[in-house]
Amino acid sequence: MIETLLAALVSGLVLGSLYALMASGLSVVWTTLGVFNFAHGALMMVGAFVAWTVSEAAGLGLLTGIAAGTLVAALLGVLIERLLVRPFYGHRSMLLITVMTTLAAMIILEKGAQIIWGARLKQLPRLIDGEVSILGATISAHEAVLVGLAPLILFAIWRFTLKTRTGRSLRAVGQNQNSAALIGIDVPVAFAIAFGLSAALAGLTGALLGSIRFITPVMGAEPLVKAMIVVIFGGLGSLGATAGAAYLIGLIEALLIVWLGLYWTPFVLFLMMIIVLVFRPNGIFGGKE
Amino acid sequence: MDNLLTVSGVTAGYGPITVLRGLSLHLGAGECIGLFGPNGHGKTTLLQTISGLIRPTSGSIEFDGRELTRLRPPHIVEAGLVQSPQGNTLFGDMRVQETLELAAFSKHARDDRQSNLEKVFALFPRLEERRPQKARTLSGGERQMLSIGCALMCAPRLLMLDEPTLGLSPRLKEELAQAVGSIAKEGIPLIVVEQDVEFLMALADRLYLIEHGEVVREIDRANAPDHDEVMRLYFGEAAG
Amino acid sequence: MSTRARDILVPLACLAVLALVPLVATESYTRHLFIIAFIYGIIASNWNLSLGHCGVFNFGHLTFFGVGVYTAAIAAKTFGINPWIAIWLGGVTAAFAAFLIATPVARLKGIYVVLVTFAFSQLAMQLVLSQSQITGGAEGMVRIPFMRIGDYSFVRDYKLGYYYVGLGLLVLSTLFLLAVINSPFGKSLKAVRDAEDYAESRGISVSTQRILVLVLSAVFTGVAGGFYAIYLRVASPEVFGFGTLALALSMVLIGGTGTTYGPIAAALALTFATESLAGIRGLEEARFIIVAVAMILVLRLAPGGLLGLLNRLKI
Repeated sequence: MIETLLAALVSGLVLGSLYALMASGLSVVWTTLGVFNFAHGALMMVGAFVAWTVSEAAGLGLLTGIAAGTLVAALLGVLIERLLVRPFYGHRSMLLITVMTTLAAMIILEKGAQIIWGARLKQLPRLIDGEVSILGATISAHEAVLVGLAPLILFAIWRFTLKTRTGRSLRAVGQNQNSAALIGIDVPVAFAIAFGLSAALAGLTGALLGSIRFITPVMGAEPLVKAMIVVIFGGLGSLGATAGAAYLIGLIEALLIVWLGLYWTPFVLFLMMIIVLVFRPNGIFGGKE
Repeated sequence: MDNLLTVSGVTAGYGPITVLRGLSLHLGAGECIGLFGPNGHGKTTLLQTISGLIRPTSGSIEFDGRELTRLRPPHIVEAGLVQSPQGNTLFGDMRVQETLELAAFSKHARDDRQSNLEKVFALFPRLEERRPQKARTLSGGERQMLSIGCALMCAPRLLMLDEPTLGLSPRLKEELAQAVGSIAKEGIPLIVVEQDVEFLMALADRLYLIEHGEVVREIDRANAPDHDEVMRLYFGEAAG
Repeated sequence: MSTRARDILVPLACLAVLALVPLVATESYTRHLFIIAFIYGIIASNWNLSLGHCGVFNFGHLTFFGVGVYTAAIAAKTFGINPWIAIWLGGVTAAFAAFLIATPVARLKGIYVVLVTFAFSQLAMQLVLSQSQITGGAEGMVRIPFMRIGDYSFVRDYKLGYYYVGLGLLVLSTLFLLAVINSPFGKSLKAVRDAEDYAESRGISVSTQRILVLVLSAVFTGVAGGFYAIYLRVASPEVFGFGTLALALSMVLIGGTGTTYGPIAAALALTFATESLAGIRGLEEARFIIVAVAMILVLRLAPGGLLGLLNRLKI
């Protein structure tokens, strides 16, 4: 019993790390631009495919591949901001329009990936071979890297937004665009940085996930949906609440899988989310707005 | 032509609504001017147009011999033309210290960050006390001080203040009016938008009365109106 | 008089042309495309009722369709209910599903409406996947009973019967939408969409209205789902996916939100366009990219479509 619980705890930690990386990317874009990026999962997928192409097809090594995946995703993120988000700045229905344009971006990226890379399943090698035992539960060393890396990345983003000039300017733009412009912050540049950063995060997550799961054009859809659940639980407003909710959801999911099995788990998660929203429209941790 | 700022024939507005109709005014080097007139007649729109938040449909704005009309806000701030906007809540979740540090954003402002910060705290000792507080928790007067403080952190060569005493108690109003006065004494040219004409007349070299998006009267010390005339300008002939 | 006459005569003329199409188009493939287009026309025009006329950004509209698909499939196959009745059961369950989701959604705003309605469609999909002994799970259901009238079987007439059933449902759905939009309730929708606060001060309950609009928009969407299952004789969880969602949404956008016939026209045009692209080698996948690009271009360049409506400038 205890062993099962511990195993669930550890696998919840792996899932939570994945969701935290995905959801914090969504949160960065949301807090800066007020845009919900539906293409976020597809950017993750692109990161995985590019990492595979560079590392496996071109044989340049896994680390080069991960770096390339991150970079290409970041560039695509900036491109999406430039072409699909920026034309609608200041529009009163910007939120809903960008939901639709980023959804279109998702379709384009997924179908584009299918055309470029085909439907055959691909997988990346692991960063480190072997297994690691945590609390008596065994996970692959690669998953352990993901678990260790996620908090570091989250911490780095948090410090970035809190302490650096650029990070602070992103927060300022998110809170009051006009005032930010009046102290000399270039608002469109801040938007592009936020989108690029968020997309880089997605690309990195995808490249890391490509060693654990199969790389397919639709691999981003499920993590995106889970990240949506996370942001609903945590609210979209703050990075800390989003990350906290991500680990919580990962844990709940892992426990539900143990108790209810693989089939009922997503159903219960969605049901929980809808119930949460009925009582707390801004999420469990989301206070204001 | 030694004007610091020349606004000529500017027409601007929001979408289909035209607010400014060919407005012209100027500000000489070292001068301080005041803008007054009824609400909704274009004073704030003018400042926003000068700052680049609104693109004029025609006319030109020249600052220090340089055409600014097509520039975007960060480049206008970089040039030293800075605004403290009206009723500003700034960045609710950022702390006072953080906000002021961030406000020294442009390249030339960054060099003087420390000395400007000291100047702001000397001008508004209350802000120094409130350093670790989030802007959201400040009182109306303190927000106004923070807003002006931010503008000063941008190292302005011309400072525009949009109703710095709006909605404040008489005591706070006095405090801010004094602060604005001492900014003017330091030699920073000012454009001040205010409802309180007497405060403006004490502060500014010249005043513009703005109605329906146009300058309808220019007042300088030589033709200064008396109190009754000011009331008439404000409330129409009926009051006179 | 003239605009009113046009509003009646043009749709009637179009209907007459559509009624005569099977005489010209005698092979079953062309008729099949028309049937699919009719179904998408029902989905898109009903979606428009909530999205365009009421301003509720329901991202789970396809859930209602999927509920209709599975209701009819299960009713006809598992319980042996006559397919003619089964498709209407799809409308009933879809309306019920809409009521369930509308209750929480009516209180939410902005992005949360999008997230919850979308999550609801995922919930429905998970339910279908997890209950594989009833729904067939990921494989879906096949060999669903087909329609017949007496001895006349609908599977051996080159789709002639299904063509007229599909067209008939589209006509019924359109009449239903017109009746809703022109009713006092439909007019109050416009009032709320244009000025929510004002409407509330006049005693119009915005949440009640949203719930009602979602339920009404689900009825014929569910019926269309039921017909889809009976016609194709399969039910698969694909109907809940992003792909179907994006295609239907692009029909609403390209057709112009807030118009009744626009999304139907767009459904016809897009169905034929995407199907003919699918026939070109190498474009099987690229056609979705083309639809997505078209959607973006409409949003950017033709604000008369969706933007015009979101601006609340026209009905």
